[in-house]
Amino acid sequence: MINERVMRVWAQIGKHSQGAPATLAHVCAATVAGVNVDGAGVTIMTSSTARDVVHTSDRVAADLEEWQLTYGQGPCVDAFARGGPVMALDLRSLESLTRWPVFTPAALDSGARAVFALPLQIGAIRLGVLDLYRARPGAMSSYELADALAFAEATALMVIDDAAGLQPDTAELAWQRDDPTAHQVQVHQATGMIVAQLGTSAEAAFARLRAYAYAHDRRLGDVARDVVERRLRFEPDLARESHDSDEETA
Amino acid sequence: MSERELAEAFVELADTLVDDFDLMDFLHQVTVRCAQVLGVAAAGVLLTDQRGALRVAAASTEQTRLLELLQLQTDEGPCPECFHSGRPVEVADLSTAADRWPRFVAQARESGFASVHALPMRLRTDLIGALNLFGGQPGALDERTIQLGQALADVATIGLLQARAIRHHETLAEQLQTALNSRIIIEQAKGVIAERRRVDMDEAFELLRDSARRRNQRLSELARAVVDGSDALWLTQPAPAAPERAPIPLRRSDGSVG
Repeated sequence: MINERVMRVWAQIGKHSQGAPATLAHVCAATVAGVNVDGAGVTIMTSSTARDVVHTSDRVAADLEEWQLTYGQGPCVDAFARGGPVMALDLRSLESLTRWPVFTPAALDSGARAVFALPLQIGAIRLGVLDLYRARPGAMSSYELADALAFAEATALMVIDDAAGLQPDTAELAWQRDDPTAHQVQVHQATGMIVAQLGTSAEAAFARLRAYAYAHDRRLGDVARDVVERRLRFEPDLARESHDSDEETA
Repeated sequence: MSERELAEAFVELADTLVDDFDLMDFLHQVTVRCAQVLGVAAAGVLLTDQRGALRVAAASTEQTRLLELLQLQTDEGPCPECFHSGRPVEVADLSTAADRWPRFVAQARESGFASVHALPMRLRTDLIGALNLFGGQPGALDERTIQLGQALADVATIGLLQARAIRHHETLAEQLQTALNSRIIIEQAKGVIAERRRVDMDEAFELLRDSARRRNQRLSELARAVVDGSDALWLTQPAPAAPERAPIPLRRSDGSVG
């Protein structure tokens, strides 16, 4: 069940943060231990050209981010551009060399053999990439992949809340925000509606939706339904929401 | 359904596959064709999120009720059962299945459905999702219709494979995750359009899809541009005339609808 996996992932993050507010460093450490990789790095991208390496777990992971930043190529660059994971299962393959001619030898030199780049994204919201590497070639098991994807999702939510100024909580509290209703189509539809209502980015719109749900102690899916059914509107100037008790909303 | 219609459906889908196509648009076409060719009221494709749950990827109509019914199967319903067993699930009469899936059956019946079938989407040994067929009347689909349905489910699977073969021998994980994220972008774009145009989500999807077809643009790319605000179409231009539901646009490459 998805909730068990989400709970386990947050519990692992919590083990590393030990009651303190969870940070990207904790997420990286938990991911490395949880999915059996040798290192992890998080890169946040403010646009397709502006990047910021936020945390790397070791020297090799730092090198990998560095090479991609310097050469403008690599699995992480592609994952961000394409909006899907990019799995370089063996950097010694001709395929890797053809695809990333400058990055591949540099990454091998640094000690990486396989790289798994998982985008931090929710639809059109593109935040960055979680890069995992192994010193040995080969794919992740389906179990490891499932956990890695859950770690990437947890990281994405953390980045969004952090950027929105929602104080990062302890992992124990944070996982409660990892609401299963967040996957309902209405949440994404509501995000789009708030984009139009506030004239803002999808990231900011999603953060507002989440902030509203926490503040009112409601499930994200239920708040989203109110937005989609036009019972709740977000107002740009007042930084408040108008909740109509009437059926009609102006 | 005539042999001719059936042949046309497969020709059209096969034709799309040799082109550089948009996976989201393709899966939508498959579900629309399923409804027509198999004579069912609605069809939907669910794909595995590889974390233990199924997610909505496409539906023959974008009616919110249908999307909700499909997404309810994150928890219970014939699709998860089909997905976990790898075998077709047939419920000729939903009223007999209320104990098995109470929430799913209640909502399906409320939406006017009386029967449901789920067919596995399989790639070699991997199960990647399930095709859901909803009937308006009670009754099992006959064997030939099930076979046709399975063939269409396989075509949907081939679409996924084909899309990844086109680009860099992607892994299945890469393709599935990209497809599910594209679906989210479409939902976000529907929201933007629904708000700007004061239309409902179904109309928003029609507007988005028709606009993509008219401009010969990929559905997911236009959706992203709408959410990013880099496509201001929805701000300035009047809404194109809403098309009739009936004839399904066959191809986008010729720029025509219908």
